Amino acid sequence: MRINKTFAGVAVAAILASSAVSAQDVVGYITKSATNAGWMMINQGAADAAAEEGVKLVSVGPAFQGDLSSQLEVFENLVAQGAKAIAVAPVDSAGIAPAVNDAMGAGIPVVAVDTGVSGAEVTSFVATDNYAVAKVQGAVAATLVEDGQPIIYVTGNQAQSTGQERMNGFMEAFAAARPNSEILQVPTEWNSQEAQEGVEAILNSRQDIAMVANAWDGGTMGAKAALENLGFGAGDVKLVGFDGAGDAIAAMDDGWVHANTAQMLYQMGYQGIKAAAAAARGEDVSARIDTGFFLVTPATSGTYKAMVGIE
Amino acid sequence: MTDVSNTHTTATLQDRIVLGLVKFFRAEWSGAFLAILILGIAIELATTGRPFFHPSNLMTILNNSAAIGIVAGGMTLVIITAGIDLSVGSVMGMTAALTGYVASFWGFPPYLAIMTGLSIGLAIGAFNGSLVAYFGMPAFIVTLAGLSIWRGTGHLSTGAQATPKLPETFDYFGRYNPFAGLRDAYREGTLSGVWERFGAFVDDNWINFFRTFQMSMLIFISFFVILTIIIANTRYGRWVYAIGSNEPGARQAGINTPRYTMITYMFCSFSAALGALLFLGRAPYAKSDYGQMWELDAIAAVVIGGTSLFGGRGSLWGTFMGVILLKLINNGLTLAQLDTFWQMVVTGLIILVAVGLDIVRQSKDPESVRKLLGALAAVMAFLALMTPGAIFLRAKIALLEHNAATSLREAGETLAAGQNARLLSPDEIVQLQNAASSNLVAMILLLALVLAACSVVLRTSRINSFVLAAVFVVMIAPVTIMGYQITAPFLVLGGASLLGSAYVHALFARARALDVNAH
Repeated sequence: MRINKTFAGVAVAAILASSAVSAQDVVGYITKSATNAGWMMINQGAADAAAEEGVKLVSVGPAFQGDLSSQLEVFENLVAQGAKAIAVAPVDSAGIAPAVNDAMGAGIPVVAVDTGVSGAEVTSFVATDNYAVAKVQGAVAATLVEDGQPIIYVTGNQAQSTGQERMNGFMEAFAAARPNSEILQVPTEWNSQEAQEGVEAILNSRQDIAMVANAWDGGTMGAKAALENLGFGAGDVKLVGFDGAGDAIAAMDDGWVHANTAQMLYQMGYQGIKAAAAAARGEDVSARIDTGFFLVTPATSGTYKAMVGIE
Repeated sequence: MTDVSNTHTTATLQDRIVLGLVKFFRAEWSGAFLAILILGIAIELATTGRPFFHPSNLMTILNNSAAIGIVAGGMTLVIITAGIDLSVGSVMGMTAALTGYVASFWGFPPYLAIMTGLSIGLAIGAFNGSLVAYFGMPAFIVTLAGLSIWRGTGHLSTGAQATPKLPETFDYFGRYNPFAGLRDAYREGTLSGVWERFGAFVDDNWINFFRTFQMSMLIFISFFVILTIIIANTRYGRWVYAIGSNEPGARQAGINTPRYTMITYMFCSFSAALGALLFLGRAPYAKSDYGQMWELDAIAAVVIGGTSLFGGRGSLWGTFMGVILLKLINNGLTLAQLDTFWQMVVTGLIILVAVGLDIVRQSKDPESVRKLLGALAAVMAFLALMTPGAIFLRAKIALLEHNAATSLREAGETLAAGQNARLLSPDEIVQLQNAASSNLVAMILLLALVLAACSVVLRTSRINSFVLAAVFVVMIAPVTIMGYQITAPFLVLGGASLLGSAYVHALFARARALDVNAH
């Protein structure tokens, strides 16, 4: 990992040095993942906003998903080398706080994207309200099953606020509407393999599961693979997703997925960098920017696809 | 001499059991096997519904072990040569992504895509192997660099995008069920005679047995059978062990050690590529972030299976058991619906126990075996203790935190949100005080049991072990009355292991005597 971090440091230095010549404002963007399908949409939004605002975007991802120490190191490098503003998607809400405090103390605005920072003030927090959206997901999921039918919930990482809020929101809304339904959990750290294996284990040992709800669409696709591995057909066990990722929407068109709460992922990156660029110029930015969500069902999937540009 | 033949012809049942035990513990896979058995029984007791040892559940575990299992099989050979390959996870991810990529976007027919994937595996192995064998670079460094290089290459070449669903040919490496066609034909009514009866049998037992009888599992088992035969019966197999136990010696004996080291690394990367194909056979799509941390899981499986990280000693069946143990932990803890964070802790503890079993297995000292069994009893008593103990501690800590937050507020500090959340209502305080006091007696009883078991670990007589084993069993009655039935399996297991510990010395003495006679 040492090697990765050193490369990241060199890359940051090189990009900052070359940008000094072009005299653009430099905005640092510390992302959570460069390979997750959802994150690639956020990153695309960030890149487009930077191009529009005419700022130089220095985009750095962690060496692997969940690597806090490389995020902290990149943060320090960006501060030391004169970034005008920093947008960050923390892998650990509390862990990133000291670095955020240092930057804010040095007068560099920090915009948190997707995941909040606990224990430090930020200039702006740009995200979907995960808890509120998850409550919608839970309420919609409840309408798909009878009271008393057991379901599976595939969790996200429970050490992160995003994972906690999505689970809490879902559980509260679902349990309120279907108090007699048992909810079995498949714990994951945002890994579709864990989702697939856990769902397969439970579906194989019980015949009465009516639905698999997921904290993110990697889980939805893992759960779909588990169903296929056990010879289920589309609709035998209902799937409910979260994120509105392209492959999950395609699976909805094939009859596998029955509801999906889509975050406006592109908007999250786009508005995050817009806010960071505005703050870099010294303009006032709203402290909380809610990027909203869209409930995708078989009836609304056409509208959603047109909106986010999925053919 | 007459004496020897006598012992053999008139071998008592007891002696045969002793010999059987000795033979069992000489096998490298016995540690992992025991851990699987103990864990399986524990999960069986903790879960309701379909039994854990149900064939269909065991086959699910085998199906999901297949991909990582084949990767670990290749890793076993590398580790036996005293090497290491940290790049297998990245190689698996890259070959999975590229195989899917050329099949989806370049229009390669599936067999050609599969050949491409396997060739990439071989080529990477040749690269790693030649750096290690011919340029004398440390395997750890070469493959650590590979971990980064191949992951990055995989992301770069596929844009880190998922492919669409792969062609059905890939199912033959994974979810394809050899009985599915027969069942379909039966349901359509196109069978007759014996086939019809067989079809009816398959259909009747579909959910209970045949549904999970899939290619993943069949390939996984065949791979280990074939590889074991190769290693046991070829010069290559013997030389792998020779290189691992004494490389300069092997070279002086005329073995072309660089060549065989390189072949071993090539085989390891090839296994990673084959593992990728098995993974694709069960996965939703191909993507370059597959296989993250697999190098660690593979190494863990190899070590749990009794293979030495220093080379020269180890077995493929041990690795087979090690992989199954790792997957069984995930599967069982998910079925038991254990809390996420506890799953992490328990997973680590089980790995420690498995490796501990293996170390004790190798030791020739009866005293250390006795101590391990005593320690196992102490751990069981501790687990029983934690049932009332956790409630007691949680209540006490909540009250303490409430008091701390109250006194901070009284001192005029402004409280943070997290501190305010620690303040309790009067009702909650009464509830917690009740919880603490009602769990106190059970906790003290079980704490005494833990301490007694710990003292037995240090020093004991046979009588003490018997008495304490009896106390373990007797203890079930009072704690059950207090409402902690769940501790009963722990106490039974603890009692059994103490009972076993009382016989360890006798067992070793008898085994030695039999051994001396036999030779």
